[in-house]
Amino acid sequence: MSGTHDDEALPEEGCDDAGFDGDLLEEELRQAAAVLDPVPAELRQLALGAYALHDLDADIAELTFDSLVDALPVRGVPDAPRMLTFRAGGLTVDIEVTGEGLIGQVLPPGPARVEVLGGPRAARPVTVDTLGRFTSDTPPTGPFALRLRAGGQVVVTEWLRA
Amino acid sequence: MDRTEVGALVRSAVDGDAAAWKALVEGLSPLVWSVVRAHRLSDADAHEVYQTVWFRFAQHLHRLREPDKAGSWLASTARNECLKVLKGLTRLTFTDDPQVLDRASEERTPEQSLIDSEEEAAQAERIRRLWQEFEALGERCRQLLRVLMASPPPSYLEVSAALGIAVGSIGPLRQRCLRRLRARMDAREAA
Repeated sequence: MSGTHDDEALPEEGCDDAGFDGDLLEEELRQAAAVLDPVPAELRQLALGAYALHDLDADIAELTFDSLVDALPVRGVPDAPRMLTFRAGGLTVDIEVTGEGLIGQVLPPGPARVEVLGGPRAARPVTVDTLGRFTSDTPPTGPFALRLRAGGQVVVTEWLRA
Repeated sequence: MDRTEVGALVRSAVDGDAAAWKALVEGLSPLVWSVVRAHRLSDADAHEVYQTVWFRFAQHLHRLREPDKAGSWLASTARNECLKVLKGLTRLTFTDDPQVLDRASEERTPEQSLIDSEEEAAQAERIRRLWQEFEALGERCRQLLRVLMASPPPSYLEVSAALGIAVGSIGPLRQRCLRRLRARMDAREAA
């Protein structure tokens, strides 16, 4: 967001603020925003419902790699899959998100139970093989997280936008 | 929102107080929305970023190192998610969404359609003009003012987290941007 505009490149035109009430104008803008661009009611409702996601029993697996941020774009591959890595303690989850779905691997390899969460009430179990590999043929839309049970640990990945 | 109040609400919400969570949403969701809007995302992206931020906030609630600064946490998380969206878009499409840019000129909000008396119509017209001049400001001013106009007004710490600019530069930049907006409004009225 490095957009510039001609009128911002001009030198400061003196500092005579006499008679100018910035607070009043800011308040008018606040009123305008409340009418023309308020928080949509359904979003406010979703934020209220998000309280159900506060879970003291699950560890948070933190995002430690996101190809969108940490990798250089691959030349000539505009639709490269999104690669994500999450870590919680000794547990690592690698995920690849494509237009076709989601492929993942729990490390260290081993049996696990994995669910894809799409919000406070949406959870979809995915099949995991004995080596901790899993595939989902439904690509996540919007915010998503994975809940994993592996090696006696319950872990939820940080919420992320697909 | 007052920082000690925010800190107390976070601690109560961690302890299971749903009313405290509700108060946090009421007090801080306009800030999150303002940050998302300041980054000019499409409606669909804006909605998803807003949700992601609140989902992650709920998830991290008991782990916030500084509960008093929950507003700054939300603002910087929103900023980071917005920047990720913009980064993903530059590889694919042009980011300007004409629907967003033309928002103020389209008379389609329910609030506007309810307006009937002349006095209210004049006030609505004034608000619409102000919004158009605000939208026509340079990118830096537009971003800063969009965040500042959240209700309740954000602290400078929160604004700093929302836009990645130094706290000390906010005051002077704000004054300058508001003066520019006033000048645009005056010029428009004189024309």
